[in-house]
Amino acid sequence: MGKMSFIIAFIWSFVLWLVLTAGTKGMLWSAEELIAGSIFASIVAFSTRNIIGEKTTRFLNPVRWLGFVVYAMGPLFWGMVKANLDVAYRVITGKIKPGIVKVPVDLENDAQYTILSNSITLTPGTLTIDACPEEKALYVHWIHVTEEEPKTSEIIAGSFEKWARRLGK
Amino acid sequence: MRAQNSDMGLIVKTMARATIPLIGIFGAYVIAHGHITPGGGFQGGATIAGAGVLFLVAFGLSEAKEKINKNFYSVLEGIGGLVFLAAGMLGLGVAFFYNILWHKGPVFNGEAGTLLSAGYLSMMNLAVGLKVYTGLVSALFAIALFRRWKK
Repeated sequence: MGKMSFIIAFIWSFVLWLVLTAGTKGMLWSAEELIAGSIFASIVAFSTRNIIGEKTTRFLNPVRWLGFVVYAMGPLFWGMVKANLDVAYRVITGKIKPGIVKVPVDLENDAQYTILSNSITLTPGTLTIDACPEEKALYVHWIHVTEEEPKTSEIIAGSFEKWARRLGK
Repeated sequence: MRAQNSDMGLIVKTMARATIPLIGIFGAYVIAHGHITPGGGFQGGATIAGAGVLFLVAFGLSEAKEKINKNFYSVLEGIGGLVFLAAGMLGLGVAFFYNILWHKGPVFNGEAGTLLSAGYLSMMNLAVGLKVYTGLVSALFAIALFRRWKK
């Protein structure tokens, strides 16, 4: 709430404006685009300052941005490649055993749940149906259930839970 | 519990928190560049109204009731229409909708292709965008409030 959320929302929207208007003066931005961008980003940030969330200042840390880049290009990309090949194998052979399993996770906040759920959904063969913070569990639809009551998220998500815990902390 | 509150789960809410400002600024970009890139007032206004609908759907009616003020949206819609009309009357000395800002105005007469060019067009785009956004959001909010399913 208040001033910090305004600044976060401003930076978040102003960066998108810069991405959209890059190239207005050579490779960079003309002054009028920068001024118009800051005005529009202020309006957007003022309107959304109560929506964007209370403790989002932690996402201003550049080390965390580096973490997101490393995660997206390393473990997440590799996990998607492996999972796609696995699903291709299941499409060809027809060896499936679908089911919904409850996966216990050890996460604390909304951002961590969102990062983990989206990572699980992005890797084919698994689809997050619901995240229940009060049960500390995710419900995942799995194309080939090998363990009906997993004790950790290791078998479904690999190292994603560790990454989600670190990135969303 | 969730059905009573008429809102979505945790993941949808968190993603909505992150994407609503992005949709808003993208809509503002479409409106502000209406005279040099595809898009304009209606397209950008409808885009921002999409962010409003996302807010309404993700956070539910009770949250939206606190944040959406009927009179404020009504006034903004009127202002949008009036600004459009005012921009049209600027060149009334020559003709209605005569683009006097472009021909010999103090502002908005930059080199064609830049942001501050094309005379009153960017003003009109902003006005139409404001009007479309507020109009669509208040219409959809009113429909969402109309909840007498039972006879």
